[in-house]
Amino acid sequence: MNDNGKIHSRQLMVLAFLYTVGTTVLIIPAGLAAIANQDAWIGAIAGVAIGVIVVGLYALLWRLFPDKTFVGICKAVFGKWFGTLLAVIHMFGAFIGTATVLFYVGDFFQLHFLPRTPFAITCSLFALVVVMGVRMGLETIARASELMLPWFVILFGVLVLTLAPEIHVDRMLPVFESGWKPVVWAGISFAGTAYMPIVFLFSVFPRVKSPDKAWPGMIAAALIGGMCVVLITLLCVLVLGPNITSRSMFPSYALVKKINIGNFVQRIEAIMAGLWFVTTYIKTTFYYYSWVTSLSEILRLKNYRTITLPCGMIMVVFSLVVYPDVVYWQRWDSTVFPPYILTLGFLFPLLLWIVGRWKKDRSYETGRKT
Amino acid sequence: MTGMWAIAGLLAAAGICAAIELPSLAGHKKDLWIFTLLLLLGTPLSIAAALKAPIPNPLDWIAAVYRPIGNWMKNLFE
Repeated sequence: MNDNGKIHSRQLMVLAFLYTVGTTVLIIPAGLAAIANQDAWIGAIAGVAIGVIVVGLYALLWRLFPDKTFVGICKAVFGKWFGTLLAVIHMFGAFIGTATVLFYVGDFFQLHFLPRTPFAITCSLFALVVVMGVRMGLETIARASELMLPWFVILFGVLVLTLAPEIHVDRMLPVFESGWKPVVWAGISFAGTAYMPIVFLFSVFPRVKSPDKAWPGMIAAALIGGMCVVLITLLCVLVLGPNITSRSMFPSYALVKKINIGNFVQRIEAIMAGLWFVTTYIKTTFYYYSWVTSLSEILRLKNYRTITLPCGMIMVVFSLVVYPDVVYWQRWDSTVFPPYILTLGFLFPLLLWIVGRWKKDRSYETGRKT
Repeated sequence: MTGMWAIAGLLAAAGICAAIELPSLAGHKKDLWIFTLLLLLGTPLSIAAALKAPIPNPLDWIAAVYRPIGNWMKNLFE
């Protein structure tokens, strides 16, 4: 499991930020608008609130075991057998995440850029870049993401500023019409897509220099990333309206098509799409990185790079299989995914933290007595 | 006909994977075994996908466990 070097806490911030924005910004406004209509943005804010608690829990767990990956924590807390079982479930979750996120990316490309290219080719090409990045190691990806960040910020700024004139404030009225229940549900589904996958960044945490200084930065980065998605959701509601938002497959892309500067600069969405290329790349890469490193740690391999190529093949195959059609996709994401990610991204870390804490306290007590 | 080309391409891809990894795995027996197993899993799966044969969907397994909980949660919040 040797990897080149360590990453800096600032690099972790960049990673956590881009990872939080990830595919969330592409798909979540539709789901939120379907649940809470014009209150989608309130649901997103509720999601950020839930997310901060979740990421705080990860920080606690990380401080308890600063030098272990998630697999290592499972084994340290629950011993060999039960720990390995939890680790396998976690690893399977990362695999599901890789395949589904790669599907989103492929579907996005096919729908908007390469309609005549076979889906499998689009996915394979994207997967090739992901595998290449992971083979080069964490430090390379971290530096690449630092280079990508300014582009993201520029494009995001352009997006928000150019869409400001298109806002129709009346589209968000009446505010809070649907009551608190859909807002909470929307919040859970937001936190499930944006924040709970951060549990897969536990494969990165042991490689961060000085974790004591890094964790507040990570929480801040996750918070800022969440606010970016809140802003996009708000713009979707205000510019497109809740109905079109909930009906679009990729509402934030539909949003960018509305950019119109003086009836002259129009249809610049293909340039703006750079935004999503960056964030979806980081998201897919870290799901995949977490999957292969967890698998190689469970099998106790010498180097995770060994299995990256065959795993890349498997990832592409399952990205073709996971969602047979759009109806299946929407139903799975709205009813199965929230409880699934709650188990992986909230219950498991909570359980590990409570038991790990208790064990450490007990060993400290017995250590003092003798 | 396209099926044949797809199979040929996938076999070539698997060959390239093996050619890249195998030299570095000479001394490590376990890593070599895992790599071979995964490649032997991945290649037939991708050929099956290219020929549009049915492949079990892991999301169905998760749905079998979590759909009741998900429906319950959804009803709770609507």
